[in-house]
Amino acid sequence: MGHLIGNDYLQEHLVTVAKNIVLAIKKAPMITGRTPIEAEIIWGEDIVPIIDVIEPVAKAARYVQWDYQTLKGCYDKGEPPVIIGIGAKVDRSDLGWNCGACGFSTCREFNKYAKENSGGGQLGGPCCNWKLLDFGIACDWACASAWQYKVDNRIMGSVGFSLMALNYLPNSNVKLGLALGPARDMVYYSREEMHKKFTYEEEKTDMLKSVPTMFTCFPGNGNPMYKTKDDWWAPPEFMDVKYSEASMDAYQKIVYEQVPEAVMKHVDKISARYKKEK
Amino acid sequence: MKKYVEDLDFQGEENISDWTPWSPQDIRRKKGVLDAARMMVNSAMTAPVAGGVPQLEAELIYGQKEIEALARRVEELAHSNKAWKEAYLYEAVMVRDSDVVIMLGNTRCHETPLDANCGMCGGTMDCGYFYDKVEHKYGIVDTTNRKSETPIKGPLCSARVDDLGYAIGSALWTAHTLMVDARPFASMGMAGQKLGYCSNSGMVVGVPVAAKPKNPYVDVNVDYHLINMDRVLDNTRKVYQTARLVRGFDYRKWIPKPTNKKGEE
Repeated sequence: MGHLIGNDYLQEHLVTVAKNIVLAIKKAPMITGRTPIEAEIIWGEDIVPIIDVIEPVAKAARYVQWDYQTLKGCYDKGEPPVIIGIGAKVDRSDLGWNCGACGFSTCREFNKYAKENSGGGQLGGPCCNWKLLDFGIACDWACASAWQYKVDNRIMGSVGFSLMALNYLPNSNVKLGLALGPARDMVYYSREEMHKKFTYEEEKTDMLKSVPTMFTCFPGNGNPMYKTKDDWWAPPEFMDVKYSEASMDAYQKIVYEQVPEAVMKHVDKISARYKKEK
Repeated sequence: MKKYVEDLDFQGEENISDWTPWSPQDIRRKKGVLDAARMMVNSAMTAPVAGGVPQLEAELIYGQKEIEALARRVEELAHSNKAWKEAYLYEAVMVRDSDVVIMLGNTRCHETPLDANCGMCGGTMDCGYFYDKVEHKYGIVDTTNRKSETPIKGPLCSARVDDLGYAIGSALWTAHTLMVDARPFASMGMAGQKLGYCSNSGMVVGVPVAAKPKNPYVDVNVDYHLINMDRVLDNTRKVYQTARLVRGFDYRKWIPKPTNKKGEE
């Protein structure tokens, strides 16, 4: 007998659904049959470190800001998404296929390079592409599984970056995060959390910067005017291509100062869990 | 008007069976698998990709000649690399046992990378690993020189390769949902690419599909390329005829019967 009312029980149930999804991740077919895939479930207050690490990056990258506002908004409303961290070890090839997809003629050369250069990228790398395909299949099975449980979800590189920085999934070198729930429509597509979060001007500027060719006019004179306003000819504006030291500096500051700061706040607590696990 | 008449003509009886191969009833069964394969390709097309950028192409391969050509190409690959030999020979048998083979390729991984400085390809802080190794101007990659010493011409944009993984995953998920057997294979992808399938792609994966009493892609025996259903059947054709003729007799005059305890027929 029972009588469930409200949303709290659904929020709890998301964790059970996440466990079912991890079963799908583990069951996902592989091409090589030799890619170690890890999955972890993080929920409630424990997603705060992940949000904290994304926060500074959000200031510099629009799509990260998009994810940040969604995750933070849901958390603040008391309906935090459940995060499924998915990772794989793909920076060594034990295949001996010498297929060349990685850019080296042999797996041996790739392994030598990988040993010296592992982990430099924001999303890990380098990768044996066949093992990376196995990882991709597993991530897709996570999404497809969530879809079949009718829970709104999105696989996120931003969360993957955060998992990497905080050293979740310590045995993996590529990581992505599947944000799962809360239990409603339009969490990750046509996002409700983005309502009234930006101005018309900001949106217009984004489009101008992201799709510049859309806004250039007759290019015959070799330096086309840039149609940034209704009366774009008075006075005219032109595309300006140059290196921006200021914006590069700002990004470096985020990656090398603000992200490590956020990481240091949480990392001991997280790494202690893996020690306990051993 | 023609459509109206066809609508009225909606009636019929269809016998469907996997036996005998390539018979009308088997081809009807294969057509069902082809429908499933088309749905799998639809799913692959809707798989999530970085930035929602279109980048997938697919090709469906079916029919006796086409399937045989693919199997032979897989066998060629098997003999080109020690590490592949046994597995790929086994997988060539699986090609022959398939009703349809789907080729899924990523059209951007070698030519128009994600350009997001994610570092997945080389573990570096930017896209430098990829661009240092390919011919390009202003980041526009020149792919006209298609020569390569390796089966795949690398490097590839790993973010795009990851997206190809999603597409394969969605195709396989739909296969599971539709209860047809399917599995992803590197051998078939590389062989398909060499045959010119998915010619706009930098990386191709083969997904064979079948609806047979036994899943063709699991539970194989040792030396599967020598001992498999086709070989067993053919061996029966070879051996049984000889067994008949070694004791030929005129069945109209006498047929041997088991004897009783007294030694009488």
